[in-house]
Amino acid sequence: MRRLLARRMKFHLFGAFLVSLGCAAIYKFGVAEPRKRAYAEFYRNYDPMKDFEAMRRAGVFESAPPK
Amino acid sequence: MANHSQLGFQDASSPIMEELVEFHDHALMVALTICSLVLYLLTLMLMEKLSSNTVDAQEVELIWTILPAIVLILLALPSLQILYMMDEIDEPDLTLKAIGHQWYWSYEYTDFKDLSFDSYMIPTTDLPLGHFRLLEVDHRVVIPMESPIRMIITADDVLHSWAVPTLGVKTDAIPGRLNQTSFTTTRPGIFYGQCSEICGANHSFMPIVVESTPLTYFENWSSLISS
Repeated sequence: MRRLLARRMKFHLFGAFLVSLGCAAIYKFGVAEPRKRAYAEFYRNYDPMKDFEAMRRAGVFESAPPK
Repeated sequence: MANHSQLGFQDASSPIMEELVEFHDHALMVALTICSLVLYLLTLMLMEKLSSNTVDAQEVELIWTILPAIVLILLALPSLQILYMMDEIDEPDLTLKAIGHQWYWSYEYTDFKDLSFDSYMIPTTDLPLGHFRLLEVDHRVVIPMESPIRMIITADDVLHSWAVPTLGVKTDAIPGRLNQTSFTTTRPGIFYGQCSEICGANHSFMPIVVESTPLTYFENWSSLISS
C-alpha cells in the first residue's frame, strides 16, 4: 500500500496521455490525411475544361447552354 | 450544395476553403485529444481509481498551465496564417458588387460594362423538375473560373450576409458600409449559398447562386445580358 496513490496516478496519467494522443493519431491518419490525399488526387489530373463540357452537355449552366 | 444529413463541410471549390477544411481537421483533432483526456480521467475518478488529499501540487499545476498554453499556440499559429491569407487581395481580374435587399440580391458588374441585375429566388411552384428547392434563382452570378474575384458587399435596408460555403465566403452586408472579400474558384460549376444574417420574414428565401465558367463563356454571357 506504500505510495499506492502515487504509483496509480503516475500509471493512469501516462495512460490518459497515451489514450488522448492515440485518439489524435486515429483522427489524423484516419480522416485528415486521407482527406488531404483525396484533394491532391482529385486535382492531380483534373481537366477543368473536360469537367465543364460534361456539365454543359447536361444543361446545368445558364451562361453556356448545350449546343 | 449540402446533401441531406450532411454533417461535414461541402467539398472546397476555392484554395481558401481547402485551407479552412485542413485547419478544421487540425482544430477538431486538438479538441478530440482534450476531450478524450478528460473523459479518461473522469471515468477513472468515477471508478474511484484516482483520488487525492494532496494539499501541495506545484509540479502538476505547472504541467496543466504549460500544456494548455502549448495547445493554444498550436491552434493560433495556423489560424492566424489563414486569417492573413484571407485578407490578401492580389490584383483581382474582376470586381463585383453584391447588394442585399429585402428579400433578394442585386449584382453590379461595373468594371467594363454597365451590367446589373436582380436575383430573386425561384418559388417552389415555378421550379422546373430536378432543380433545388429554395436554392435556385432567376439570374445567377456568373464569374470566370480560376480567376481572382473581388466582391464588394453592402445592403440597402437591413443587415444581410453573402455566403457561399463551398467557396469559403461569408461576408456581412451592412447598410452604409462596403465590405470586401475575394475568392478564386478552382473548378467550373454551380455553387449555392443562402443569406446568413436574419433580415426579416423571407430571410430563408433569398439564396445565392454562383456559376463559374471559362472566360469565353463569361464574356459571351456578359455581352448578351447587358444588351
